[in-house]
Amino acid sequence: MSRGGFLYGLWCLGIIGVFLAASVYGYSPFANGGRAAPRVGGGYYGPTHK
Amino acid sequence: MLTVSCPNCGADVVFRSPALPVKVCDYCQTNVMRVGDELRDMGKAAVLPFDVSPIRIGTSGRFDGQGFDVIGRVRWGWSDGSWNEWLMLFGDGSHGWLGEAMGQFMVTRERALDGVRTEMFRHLASGGDIQVGESGELDGVEYIAADIKQATCLAAEGELPFTAPAGWTIDSIDFRTTTGAVASFQRDGEEANLYLGRYVELGELKPQDLREITGWAMPRFAA
Amino acid sequence: MSEGVQPAPAPAVKPLSCPACGASIELRAAGYTVTLVCPYCSSVLDTANPDVGIIQRYSKAARELEIPLGTRGTLKGVDWEAIGYLRRSEGGTYPWEEYLLFNPYHGYRWLVTDGRGWTFGTMLTESPKYGGSDGLIVDGQPYKSFFRNGRAQVDYVLGEFYWRVRQGEEVETADYVRPGFMLSFEGNEEERNWTLGELLDGKEMAEAFGVDEPRKWRPGGPPPLPHQPSPYAGSASTLGKLALLGIVALFVLTLIFGGSRNEREFEFSVTPGGGEVSRTYGPVSFDRPWQAVTIKAQASGLENAWVDLDYALVDRKSQTTYAAYAIAERYSGRDSDGAWTEGSRGATTKLATVPAGEYDLVVDASGQNWGFGGSSGPVPVTISIAQGATFWSNFILAVILLLVPAIIVLFRHARFETARTAESDQGSALANMMQGDEDE
Repeated sequence: MSRGGFLYGLWCLGIIGVFLAASVYGYSPFANGGRAAPRVGGGYYGPTHK
Repeated sequence: MLTVSCPNCGADVVFRSPALPVKVCDYCQTNVMRVGDELRDMGKAAVLPFDVSPIRIGTSGRFDGQGFDVIGRVRWGWSDGSWNEWLMLFGDGSHGWLGEAMGQFMVTRERALDGVRTEMFRHLASGGDIQVGESGELDGVEYIAADIKQATCLAAEGELPFTAPAGWTIDSIDFRTTTGAVASFQRDGEEANLYLGRYVELGELKPQDLREITGWAMPRFAA
Repeated sequence: MSEGVQPAPAPAVKPLSCPACGASIELRAAGYTVTLVCPYCSSVLDTANPDVGIIQRYSKAARELEIPLGTRGTLKGVDWEAIGYLRRSEGGTYPWEEYLLFNPYHGYRWLVTDGRGWTFGTMLTESPKYGGSDGLIVDGQPYKSFFRNGRAQVDYVLGEFYWRVRQGEEVETADYVRPGFMLSFEGNEEERNWTLGELLDGKEMAEAFGVDEPRKWRPGGPPPLPHQPSPYAGSASTLGKLALLGIVALFVLTLIFGGSRNEREFEFSVTPGGGEVSRTYGPVSFDRPWQAVTIKAQASGLENAWVDLDYALVDRKSQTTYAAYAIAERYSGRDSDGAWTEGSRGATTKLATVPAGEYDLVVDASGQNWGFGGSSGPVPVTISIAQGATFWSNFILAVILLLVPAIIVLFRHARFETARTAESDQGSALANMMQGDEDE
């Protein structure tokens, strides 16, 4: 395999690796939403037990 | 194998092939011809000029499955150069010619003109002329006239099927094809001969006993 | 049946003296050489006959050559001696040099150069076969026409030749190429010859004859040789295969990691113009350490109105919030072209990198009417939340990044080929591409 071919193979593996990592983390730069500050107005969500 | 005395100088003259009637005496260059039991002096052949041909008398090889020995040579010249025709004696007693020019080799064998129907060759055989570029077909191959010249016998050595006196002039026409096949037509006024064959690489002939040339290594194909 | 005693080796050269200037010269291809130019006085001598004749008398010293005549070099495993030199040109322009190489056991070869590279040529004994329009075939290999109607003239001669070379002699030429090889035709009324030339590796030639390696092609510099192979062609197929493998792998991974599961639904109503509605759905648990989350909204029956949706996915334990926004809208009407509709009643939202945990999904929805004919009553909205998402956008981005180096190589290859074919009589590769290769 030529040197250029070898380097390109590494590049491909790199892209696939990053893609794999993003997939495992459920990440996408195109996702609509992410972490945000707690809701305005406060409030606790979920069952509260007294 | 027949050893006789040269009618001119008395030296030993060895004939290896019963089919080839002429041998150029190695010592005095007389064309010695066997006619029946007689030996005739047919005139002198000129001494060969020096050349760096890789072939010599004694070289052997294989062509199209048959072994051959080089036992004679005629050197022809024309206004713009010269070439060698080496006589090849095959295992079955037949003979052919190894033509050598410009570092390229070809092997041809005589083809009887009686059976040849090609218009172009018949025309040449009856004394007619053709031009470069004219073509004719023989046995499915198209032969195109590539060069037409007058050739003179410059010198000869070894055993030959004909006498080769110095100064003998012939008309010589070479034909080329698209397949590597070649044809050569020779005429000296009365007699006409047609030779058919093809180009060969020297290595293809698996040559042995090539001529040694100072400073040049024997090629790998010449075991 | 060999001859008996092996004769003594023949000398390799024949000494003779120049009839014009008297110098001692060596004939290296005795028996074959017809023309010899004296290296001392440059007179052209006729060596076809034993008496050496003078064809053209000169009295100037021979030019110094890059490869001095008499130099030997090994190419393709065989020793060759440079015995002749020609400088030829196309009517005086585009000059090039040719060296005649000789080995008594292998015959003649040619070394041709114009400064861009060295080509090792052999005279053919078979004429090429016809190979389609503008093409020829030799030994089963196709050659494409590159130069037509050329005229080569001899400008300068030195050394030995097997034909009568004359300064000023002209031949018609034509050239055909395939990467690394050039098939050349030369002819006049008397003779026609075909020569097949192989482009030599710069190192091979430098080692053999001690000449400098030619410069590598650079864009903007002199064009590549007509038969110079593209430095990118070899890698093209490897890159292509790797890229294809990569794309297939990415596709498979997208399918494996994509898709959503455990879809849960809940429904509520919102009235356009009737203020904000807030609903909470939970618990929704996500068990993978990390996952994407797909939230779908469908507002059926929405007409000429829209619904703003604010999502908040709140972790019950840590109260960490993941927020997103979606809009469901539907507009319709009539104009001069007929009825039209716009917008989508459904909206899909994907959240990235949500850690494991128990969550509540809080939806704040408010609807607004648009223009006339909007739904005035409550609009049912169905929200579904599922674990996982298929990001085709990731796939497309990865494919683009993957292809970037391949596209760069392709571009460079095209640039090389355009420069190479620019000299050709057939037109440049680019021009032919534009024309659509009508002769094909």
